[in-house]
Amino acid sequence: MLTYTLRKLLMLIPMLLVITFLIFVGLELTPGDAVSYMVGPEAMANMSQERLDELREALGLNDPFIVRYLRWLGRALRGDFGYSLTSGVPIKDIVFSRLPATLELSLAALLISTLLGSILGMVSALRKGSILDVSLTVAGMIGVSIPQFFFALVSILIFSFKLGWLPSGGRTMPGYTTFLDRLPHLILPALVLGITMTAGVMRYSRSSMLDALSKDYIKTARSKGLPEWRVNLLHGFRVALTPVVVLVGFRLPMLIGGSVVVEQIFQWPGIGKEFVAAVRGQNLPLVMMIALFSVTAVLVASFLVDLLTALLDPRIRLE
Amino acid sequence: MVYVDTILTVDNLHINFYTNNRCNEAVKGVSFQLKKGRTLCLVGESGCGKSVSASAIMRLLPPLSRIEEGRIIYHTDQGDIHLHELDPSGPEIRAIRGAEIAMIFQDPMTALNPVYTVGFQIREAFMYHAKMAKAAMQAKAVELLRAMRIPAPEQRVNEYIHQYSGGMRQRAMIAMAMACNPKILIADEPTTALDVTVQAQIFDLMNDLQQKHNAAILLITHDMGVVAELAHDVVVMYMGVAVENGPVEDVLTRPAHPYTSALLRSIPVLGQSKAQKLEPIRGSTPDPFNRPQGCQFHPRCDFATEQCLQEPETFSVSPNHTVRCWHYEKVLANA
Amino acid sequence: MSRTRAARLNRKMDRLKMLEKEGLLKSREGSRAVGKFLQNKLAVVGLIVFALILLSSIFAPLITKYDPAMIDLRSRLSPPSREHLFGTDKLGRDVFARVLYGGRISILVGFGGALGAALVGVSLGTYAGYKGGWLDKILLRVSEIFMSFPQIILVLLLVSILGQSLWNLLVIFTITGWGSVYRMTRSQMLSIREEEYVQALKAFGLSDGLIAYKHMLPNALGPIMVNLTLSTAMFILEETALSFLGLGVPLQIPTWGNILNAAQDLTILQEAWWIWVPVGLVISAFVLSINFIGDGLRDAVDPTQQG
Repeated sequence: MLTYTLRKLLMLIPMLLVITFLIFVGLELTPGDAVSYMVGPEAMANMSQERLDELREALGLNDPFIVRYLRWLGRALRGDFGYSLTSGVPIKDIVFSRLPATLELSLAALLISTLLGSILGMVSALRKGSILDVSLTVAGMIGVSIPQFFFALVSILIFSFKLGWLPSGGRTMPGYTTFLDRLPHLILPALVLGITMTAGVMRYSRSSMLDALSKDYIKTARSKGLPEWRVNLLHGFRVALTPVVVLVGFRLPMLIGGSVVVEQIFQWPGIGKEFVAAVRGQNLPLVMMIALFSVTAVLVASFLVDLLTALLDPRIRLE
Repeated sequence: MVYVDTILTVDNLHINFYTNNRCNEAVKGVSFQLKKGRTLCLVGESGCGKSVSASAIMRLLPPLSRIEEGRIIYHTDQGDIHLHELDPSGPEIRAIRGAEIAMIFQDPMTALNPVYTVGFQIREAFMYHAKMAKAAMQAKAVELLRAMRIPAPEQRVNEYIHQYSGGMRQRAMIAMAMACNPKILIADEPTTALDVTVQAQIFDLMNDLQQKHNAAILLITHDMGVVAELAHDVVVMYMGVAVENGPVEDVLTRPAHPYTSALLRSIPVLGQSKAQKLEPIRGSTPDPFNRPQGCQFHPRCDFATEQCLQEPETFSVSPNHTVRCWHYEKVLANA
Repeated sequence: MSRTRAARLNRKMDRLKMLEKEGLLKSREGSRAVGKFLQNKLAVVGLIVFALILLSSIFAPLITKYDPAMIDLRSRLSPPSREHLFGTDKLGRDVFARVLYGGRISILVGFGGALGAALVGVSLGTYAGYKGGWLDKILLRVSEIFMSFPQIILVLLLVSILGQSLWNLLVIFTITGWGSVYRMTRSQMLSIREEEYVQALKAFGLSDGLIAYKHMLPNALGPIMVNLTLSTAMFILEETALSFLGLGVPLQIPTWGNILNAAQDLTILQEAWWIWVPVGLVISAFVLSINFIGDGLRDAVDPTQQG
């Protein structure tokens, strides 16, 4: 298990190196002065041209490319990602102030889609060919076919404007302090994000469950006189779970991607909304850094998924 | 004419499969009796319905299949149980599965669950048939593994099936099947996936168990060598039909069905490799959806006549030896 | 199993048994795949809806007399009527005409993006999958890097580097989409490579390119076609999402996403539903039809999923 973990961890590093390198190349190709996102804008305004040139030399902007990359990487590792072009705020501060909102939304949606998807998928598989199975399958297809933002708009129209049950956007209101106060704000975006993701999880867990149920050991379990629930849950679902966990892990990129659109529509103050604003404002350093951040998040998440699957499957764990 | 020592009667069993929107008559007329302390072999090539017949006894047929006709009767001291009438997922058949009738499968690697320890899966076998504390079940599992001659059972019991070697896996499976001392053990090609040397060990073990517990064994195989080695009685199957049925000495030395005799002539006998002339059976197995009329074997048979277009009756060669062939006397004379 | 379900199953079996006895069930003649596809009701419905929407987009001028760009300030925000089927938008443009003409661009972008990704992914995957070695290793790593980005983040990143235009969008979709096609083709080729006829061709001394593209690729086409359909659906959804955010196709070109962009305005969202609800339904129906087709294709070409 330890060597497995270490091996997976070691495979992460070259990937991250290549990605950071690409991001750095992107930053270098950005039109505009490289100094501008390294030095705070207040300091910039008070500088003469000679001073700027000096600074450039001092900052090593005239050094060879690879040296600059390594220096940039070193700073990034220490948490210095430069400044936003438009607001002049350190990028690190932007990302970390927006992170809790995005995490809250993503985890809620992940929870909804995983629970709903795996249970519906299992039921669908157990009743293969029944009316329930067919309707769930068609519902799932409709789920992946409706544009997420359209689904979001319709749900705002119905639940916020027509029925007035839930707020149409934002994460909190003045005077709200606890999570429970804010909960109504979370419900709609989390449900929209969660339900659109449920379809994929359901489809996958259905086929995974069907696969598990077709295995010989299901027949063995029955031949021991075990009751159906035990055969289906302990021998079917338990085995079917591993690929579902892997899928949920692979869905994390989609989740982060999905939250870009959903955050925008619900005016949820997370990283996704910040990202759209940055793209719209041609704020490339911020765009690059958020992209880097999300890739890192995905890679770390997939590493955790690997560990989880190893825990679930003794064949990997004990190798 | 049920003998005192008969424990299971299968009578004129018919099973259809309804997959892919077609109807396939997988088993069309199989009868035999299983006796205490004796081994009966179901032989035939793959697809002849031998495994299906065995699964039907346990009522473990896949969803899109059905027992059309015939009876499966389990004879107990408390009277007969008509297995073919039970709900396949109901409590009555569940009480019999594992406790009274147990089954071992061809490939233990796929027939045992990879995510649970061997011990867990053996304990499961007790769980619904005996009231026992978990520690007692664990101790019993270790004891069973030891009886199956698995080294270091205290440690092995907590290991997973992929950590076992090939022969050990099958022994673990037998341990699981024998957990509740079943009266009948159904073994579906138990050694096909194993080395020849390991095969012998497994058969040894099964013999021991039979003698110790007086269990009846239904052994499914395509290997005539295995039949000669282990069987007391043989049922030969072809395209879903039990074509010949009798004590092993009779069937192997005086085959009355052309298929049995062709089968015997097509396999090599150890020590005769040079002298023996191997004759493969001509033609090939028909498509189950496009079956020949009457006797299923007649297109490949040397004795075939007009009469073979009629379904053959069952004839008695000797009191215990029956055959389904119009020309069995010619076959016997020819041998 | 419940009693009603068991009874239903039994009736189905009885029916099959009777038909089989009467010799009415024959092995299907002709292409098994085509037959299987046509048997799938949802796939056929999908094909009809798909053709309907596609054809009305292509022949838009024959269906509507309105120019999608024609501004008519006298009839702004008028609700659906006989005159304007889907009503008019803030500038008095006919929404129905915009949906029809918008379909042309949206479908083009979706299909073009999928085709571009497939061309790159398949041509690389076929060769690298057959040859293996360092080329395959490098491409695999590269595709892994591309795929570790959340798709929309990578798309938006490229949009902000390359700028907004129709062509750029196609390029961006190709860049972001080739990785998964590459991996799929590669794994297909890996399994085909083990087949004996490939060994035989090798022994004949045929060139690698010839073996890979002429003899092996056709056997992998089924799954590739399925992938192409499903990724067309995905890219159409992506185009609409990008355009909705105002970051896809430039706003003056009508596309499905650009029409929906108007719904970012809360008054339109609340009061002028006809501007955004019909087009949203059209997108959903079109993507759903493609998904049904893709699903039907998958079942038709996959020999392991019988029954």
